[in-house]
Amino acid sequence: MRRQFKNTIKDLAAYDDKIVMIFGDVSVYLFKDFKEKYPDRLYNIGICENTLISVGAGLSSQGLFPFVHTIAPFITERSFEQIKLDMCYNQFGGNIVSCGASFDYAWDGATHHAYTDLAILRLLPDMEVMQPGSVKEVDVLIRSQYNNGHPSYFRLSDNPHNIDIPVTFGKAVVLKNMDFPVTVMTAGPILGNVFEACRQLDVNLVYFHTIKPIDKETIESFRHTTIVVVHDAFGLYEAVCEVPGLTVFSYGFRRQFYCTYGTINDLRQHLGLDVSAIRHTLQQYLVTVS
Amino acid sequence: MIAECKKVRKSILAISRESGHGHIPTCFSVVEILYAVYSTIRHNPNDPSWNQRDIFILSKGHAALAYYVVLAQFGYFDIGQVYSFGSFMSDFGCHADRLKVPGIEASTGSLGHGIGLAVGMTLAFKIKKHSAKVYVLIGDGESNEGSVWEAIMVATNLKLNNLTVIYDNNMSHSRGLQINNPAERFKAFGCEVSQVNGHDIGVLKTEITKQPDKVKVIVADTKKGYGCQTLIDNQYQWHRKSPNDSEFDMLIKELNEAAI
Repeated sequence: MRRQFKNTIKDLAAYDDKIVMIFGDVSVYLFKDFKEKYPDRLYNIGICENTLISVGAGLSSQGLFPFVHTIAPFITERSFEQIKLDMCYNQFGGNIVSCGASFDYAWDGATHHAYTDLAILRLLPDMEVMQPGSVKEVDVLIRSQYNNGHPSYFRLSDNPHNIDIPVTFGKAVVLKNMDFPVTVMTAGPILGNVFEACRQLDVNLVYFHTIKPIDKETIESFRHTTIVVVHDAFGLYEAVCEVPGLTVFSYGFRRQFYCTYGTINDLRQHLGLDVSAIRHTLQQYLVTVS
Repeated sequence: MIAECKKVRKSILAISRESGHGHIPTCFSVVEILYAVYSTIRHNPNDPSWNQRDIFILSKGHAALAYYVVLAQFGYFDIGQVYSFGSFMSDFGCHADRLKVPGIEASTGSLGHGIGLAVGMTLAFKIKKHSAKVYVLIGDGESNEGSVWEAIMVATNLKLNNLTVIYDNNMSHSRGLQINNPAERFKAFGCEVSQVNGHDIGVLKTEITKQPDKVKVIVADTKKGYGCQTLIDNQYQWHRKSPNDSEFDMLIKELNEAAI
């Protein structure tokens, strides 16, 4: 996804000289050719997440389109107040692009796990929150939202799914709907596992790449079903619950530190987010509902 | 104290008495700084969004009342409007909202934010090859925040010589995390530093006009409550206090007796 991010930015920058990249000492080598081509439009200002956001907001205040980019937990949790006040309250919108989603950096341990970002950012007025799950979603969502004046969060992952779906900002995608009594809702790269788990099951499947604004209309259309949100972070379940009166359950991340290492697949297996565990859980919901 | 700044202080006292709000001692420490800034920078009260203007940001947002009164004095709005200070539907909150008050460039309040915004604005002018300059007023107490020093490091690393930081050295920090020798600290971070009497308009204007090759820092030595001995002697008691009628009369008398 990061390579797609670079390619999309290179493409946009060719005709939009208001784009400015502000990096927190990540992806610098990846963007080497961009920096060579546009030396005054990419700044690796260092490992200082608070100032990354404030500088982005300051650039925005003067009509530029900043892309602030560094690792997900640091840019969202450490800099939450800068995002809230400098970007949202001041209405100096800009783009925040993170890497290291969920358990992408599983081997680095609990300090590098990112699971609150979507949930806390969706609390902020005016904030757009996106979790693209594929390279196509990265490309379409960035092109669609980068210059609209709103603060926009794009959460990139190193482990995209490879399912080709139509992408329109703010619109959920119904991947399967045969009026089954259980509807699975999911977001981001974990769709790869969820899609596979649902393949042989009598469940509806709805996918979100946009967490805020959440597509309430599509959720509403599944009101008569039991909804199971399968996700590897906080944020989607809470967003779905904004539609009142649903029967909705959450499956996936639990409120605890995962003090393990290994790979993202190790963590997904540990959380029950591998294909077989998801399938098994959904089968249990199907039994309960029937 | 020049007559204009005495007038500003009287308005601050009057509005504080009327509204029941005010950080009077910290407002009094920055009056000359604000007055010198708006006497020097490029700005247009009749067109606050003028695209050739310089930018000023009050990072120590709790001095908003002084900021409003100085902006009113320079013609941005009528001083009478500011008497609604801090009330429910007022545009003039105890921390300024840029979307409500003409001339305010950034909404501040939480400390340690304005300077980072200023660095971003300064970088924007560099990128756009625009000649505008950015001035930001930070407090010494505010400079307990790590984000202040992050922003300074970024500014010096980017060689933002169109940025001037004014450090209100009113000794707010003295009862908590002390910052001794601030001028030396800013120099160590790579800034061009001068240290001046923060109540001397002439010296301040001269320093604000200077354009070195580096990030400029003016350490302005000030007194919380400057102009009223009662406020200077009891600055912690008066931190958020507003005067009643008899206290107002006493403070006005002290101001009137202060040398012009």
